[in-house]
Amino acid sequence: MKLPRPYVFTWLALLTLLAMTTGSAFVPLGRFNVVVNLAIALVKALLVVFVFMHVRRGSPMIRVFAVAGVLWLCLLAGLSLTDLATRG
Amino acid sequence: MSAGAIATDAPRGEPPLPVAHQFDDAAQQADAASLGMWLFLATEILFFGVLFFAYAVARARFPDAFAAASRHTNLLLGTTNTAVLLTSSFTMALAVHAAGARRMRAAALLLTLTAAIGVAFAAIKLTEYALDYRGHLVPVVNFAFDPRYAQGALLFFWLYFVTTGAHLVHLSIGVAIALTFAWRCARRAPGRLPEQVETAGLYWHFVDLVWIFLYPCLYLVART
Repeated sequence: MKLPRPYVFTWLALLTLLAMTTGSAFVPLGRFNVVVNLAIALVKALLVVFVFMHVRRGSPMIRVFAVAGVLWLCLLAGLSLTDLATRG
Repeated sequence: MSAGAIATDAPRGEPPLPVAHQFDDAAQQADAASLGMWLFLATEILFFGVLFFAYAVARARFPDAFAAASRHTNLLLGTTNTAVLLTSSFTMALAVHAAGARRMRAAALLLTLTAAIGVAFAAIKLTEYALDYRGHLVPVVNFAFDPRYAQGALLFFWLYFVTTGAHLVHLSIGVAIALTFAWRCARRAPGRLPEQVETAGLYWHFVDLVWIFLYPCLYLVART
């Protein structure tokens, strides 16, 4: 069976990003270490979602469902933060 | 409805996919199957999301303790496991692709390979738990830590075991699903298997997604 190229590239990109995130953790960047780590995690997640999980060629409805989960999480986390941030 | 997420048109000479009577066509049926799994995954996002939220709040409260605690996680095993899991997602994507092309033997092999890589992940994770136990890092059981950071570190390791534990349970379910469909792909005519393998793949990739965020949160807090 011929290997589908987009999957091969995505896999290689994911492993490269893993090496980058692990490497970056040893570079003293202060507060930016966590920013770099989360940014790389986000890129990895988007690669998995769009290529492996087929959201790139999925129906609009599937995109809505995928975004809805994240949106609800943001709503609940945001409302919880209003409590935590305003406590004495 | 637009083009389905999987190749729903059978290759020439093959019988078309069976379509249940409530659907217009095979593409709509395949979309509905994916949509159902995405709905479930949205609830899973909330399940794991609340744990990540707890982590963020605790880390903001005890930044130094989280840094100290994170240095006690096993970076080599954690990084290896991340690579292992990313690779399993790759083989799962290939399995879904093979099933979509009605190559059921290849799909069965790739699903078995994916399950095997999943088992390897679990074996590494359990080894890590054993090392954590020896390092006196298991809350309630034998937790012992530098008293300056003990309170925050205890929270960190609670979150570590709850998140990785919940992840491991999800992964085990994924392995069972992968093996079930490997068995069916090896023994049955394609039928609706292509779209079923697609939904199994969505679940597997979601488990991978959770780990992608767990890895920097648990292993990379302060390595400099």
